[in-house]
Amino acid sequence: MFLAWREIRRAAVRFGLLMAAVGLLVFLILAQQALQDGLLTSFVGAIERQSAPVVVYSVDGQRTLQGSIITPDLQAKIEGAEGVAASGRIGQGTFTVTVDGAAQSDAAIIGYEEAELGAPEPLSAGRLPKAGGEAVGSSPDFAVGDVITVVPPDADADPVEVTVVGLALDAQIQVTPTLFVAWPDYEAAVRVANPDATAVLPNAIGVRPGSGDTDEALVTRINDASDEADALTRQQAADEAPGVAEVRQSFQVIFLLYGLVVPLVTGLFFLIITFQKSASLTLLRAIGARSSTLVRSLLIQVVVVIGGGVVIGVALYAPLSQVQLGAISLRFNLGAVVFWSVLLLVLGLLSALAAARRVLAIDPIEATTSGGNL
Amino acid sequence: MNLAWKELRRRPGRFAVAGVILTLIAILLMFLGGLLDGLLGNSTGAYRVQEADRFVFSASSKDSLVRSRIDADTRSAVQDAVGDGVVGGIGSVQLGGRLEGRDVRDLVAVVLFGYEVAPKGLPSEVPGPGEVYADVALRSEGVDEGTEIQLGPDRTPVTVIGFLEDSQYNGQGTLWGSLDTWQTVLEANRPGETLGEGTVQALVVRDGPTQATSAAIDAATGGATSTLTITEAIEALPGVSQQRATFNQIIGVTVVIAIVVVALFFALLTVERTGLYGVLKAVGASSRSLFAGVVLQAVVVTLVAAALGAAGALVLDAVIPAGAIPFVAQPSRLISSVVYLLVAAVIGCAFSLRRVLKVDPAAAIGGSQ
Repeated sequence: MFLAWREIRRAAVRFGLLMAAVGLLVFLILAQQALQDGLLTSFVGAIERQSAPVVVYSVDGQRTLQGSIITPDLQAKIEGAEGVAASGRIGQGTFTVTVDGAAQSDAAIIGYEEAELGAPEPLSAGRLPKAGGEAVGSSPDFAVGDVITVVPPDADADPVEVTVVGLALDAQIQVTPTLFVAWPDYEAAVRVANPDATAVLPNAIGVRPGSGDTDEALVTRINDASDEADALTRQQAADEAPGVAEVRQSFQVIFLLYGLVVPLVTGLFFLIITFQKSASLTLLRAIGARSSTLVRSLLIQVVVVIGGGVVIGVALYAPLSQVQLGAISLRFNLGAVVFWSVLLLVLGLLSALAAARRVLAIDPIEATTSGGNL
Repeated sequence: MNLAWKELRRRPGRFAVAGVILTLIAILLMFLGGLLDGLLGNSTGAYRVQEADRFVFSASSKDSLVRSRIDADTRSAVQDAVGDGVVGGIGSVQLGGRLEGRDVRDLVAVVLFGYEVAPKGLPSEVPGPGEVYADVALRSEGVDEGTEIQLGPDRTPVTVIGFLEDSQYNGQGTLWGSLDTWQTVLEANRPGETLGEGTVQALVVRDGPTQATSAAIDAATGGATSTLTITEAIEALPGVSQQRATFNQIIGVTVVIAIVVVALFFALLTVERTGLYGVLKAVGASSRSLFAGVVLQAVVVTLVAAALGAAGALVLDAVIPAGAIPFVAQPSRLISSVVYLLVAAVIGCAFSLRRVLKVDPAAAIGGSQ
C-alpha cells in the first residue's frame, strides 16, 4: 500500500496521464450509452408510454405506426377476434406546427379514440384532455399551457389549434416532439394539413384483452384471425420497431471496441512501468520484500488508476447527461455507470496479469549478479 | 533515425501492445466513420441521385417531402421563374411490397417515387403505367427485371423494368415510376395522403443557361415555396445533420484518445531510454535526430495499425449481413481515418520532445545513469 501510493505520488504526471486517458474512454462509453438510450426512447418512447397493452398494425406497415394503415375491413376483423374486450383507433402523422405563434417546427401528433387505449401514461404534469382542442405533450418539448397550431398549406385556411394540458416524459416518436390528442382533433389536423385527403384511416388499433386473458394470447388470436394484421404487445411494438435493433447492434460493436481499448491501455502502461522498474523490484525482493507485497502494490495502482478514470469519466458524463441534443433527451443512467465501472475494473485487473506475472518471475538472486541491472 | 528504424525491425515486439491498441482505435475510427457513411448513404440516395440542381418544397412543409404540396399554379410560377430550366414534379410514398412466393407476412419495405425529370442512370423517358425502375439494393430481396411487386394494403401491382444505383431513401429500397403510377398507388393505399389533380409533393429544377436563384424562385411564388439546392435538401432530411454532428464529435474524441495513447507510450519509451539518449548525445547525436527517430517509430507503428484497422473495416464490411448494420467502408473514409491517426501520432510524440531535449549528455558521461 505504502509503496503503491508513494510511486503514484512521485510519478503523478505519468499516472495522471493514464488516468485521464481512462477517464476519457469511460466518458465516451457513458456518453454513447446515454446517446443510445436517448435515441431509442426518442424513436419509440410514445409506443412504450401509450396505454394500449396490445397494438395491432397492418402487415404492410412493417411495424411503423405512420407506415401502417388499417382498412375498415381489417379493423372489423381485429375487433371481431376472440378475446378482444375493447379496441380503439390510433393515428399518427408528422405536421408543421407553431408553438405560441413562434417559428414553424415539426411535431408528431398521435390521435387516440379511447384514453385507455392510446393516451400516454403516466403523466409527469397536468392531466389528460377532457375536451376537444386539448393535448398531452412530450416533456421537455412542450409546457402546460402551450398553444400549438397546425400550419395549413394554404395560408387562407383555418388552422387547427390544441392547448397542452398535460405532459408525459419519454413520450416522443420518430425523434420528434409529440402531442397526444383525441381522435377528432387528430382527424382535423390531417384534413387541415392535406385538404385533398379522401379519408382518415387509423394507423393502428389499440386492443385490450378480457379479464383473465393474457396480452400474448390475444396477440396470437388476432394474428390468426387475419394475415393482414400484425398484433404485438406494447413492449414488442417498441422493441421490434424498424431501426431499434440496428441502433442496438451498432452501439454494441462500438462498446465492444471501447471495452477492449481500456484494459489494453491499462495493461500496456503497467507492463511498461514494470519493465522500467525491474531493477528496483529485484532489489526489493533481494532485501526481503515478498512477491505478494509487490503484486498487491501493482493491483492497488490498477484500482487507483481505473477508479480515478471512472471518477473523471463520470464527472464529465454527469453534466452531459442533462443536455438536450436536438430532440433527444439524455439521462444520467446510474445502472450504466455501475455496470461499466465494475466491468472496466475487472478487465483492468485482468489486463495487469501480464505485469503481475513478470513481478512474480523476478529472481532476487539476480540482484547479486547484476541481472537486475544494478 | 537509422537507430530508430533498426530498433523497429529488430524488436518489433516492443511496439506490439501500442500497435494493438492503435489498431483497435483505427478499427473504431473506421467503424464509426463507416457507420455514419452507411446511415447517411441509405437515407439520402434518392436526393443524391437527382439529375437536378434544386428541390422546391411548399413553404409550410418544413422542407419535408411527404408534407409538401405544390399545386399547378405554384408550379407554373416556378417554371416562369426558371425560364429555360427544366422543372419536374416528384412524389413519394412508403409502403410494404409483396413478392410472389414469399410468406404473406414477409414484405419488403419500399419507397415508391413518381418522377418527371429522370434521376441519374435512368432514361429520360418516364416508364409506362405500372412500370418501375428499382434500386439495386432490392436485388438482395429477390427482385429482378420482370418481377411484379404488389404495393400496400390494396396490393397495387407494379412491374420492375430495370435498375438504378445508390437511390435508397430512409434506409429503404426505392422504386421509380411515373407520376401517374405514384398517384394511383397513393390513392389506393393512402387515402389520407392523396393529392388533388395536378398537385405533386415537390418539384426538382434543373437550372438552364440563365440560372434562377432559390430566392428568385421563392419570390416568384409569393413565398409559397421553399427552394433548396440538392445539398441543402439533403441536410434538411430528418436526422442527417444531427447524425453527422454527433458522429463527428465521437470521432473527434476518439482521435484525442489516440493522441493520448501515442503520447503515453512514447513518453514511457523515452523515459526508459533516457540513459541511452544521454550516451548518444554525448557521442554527438542531436536532439533533432533523436526526436525524429521517435516520430519515425510512432508513424510506422501507426501506419501498420491503420493498415490492419483498414483491413478489419473491410472484413467487417464483407461479413456484416445486408440490412443488419448500415456500415460501409469507403476508400475516402479509410484514408481520412489513416490521416487522422498519423496526425494524432505526430502530436502524441510531441509530448516526448521536451523530455528528449532535457536529456543531459554530461550526466551520461558522469555515470549517474
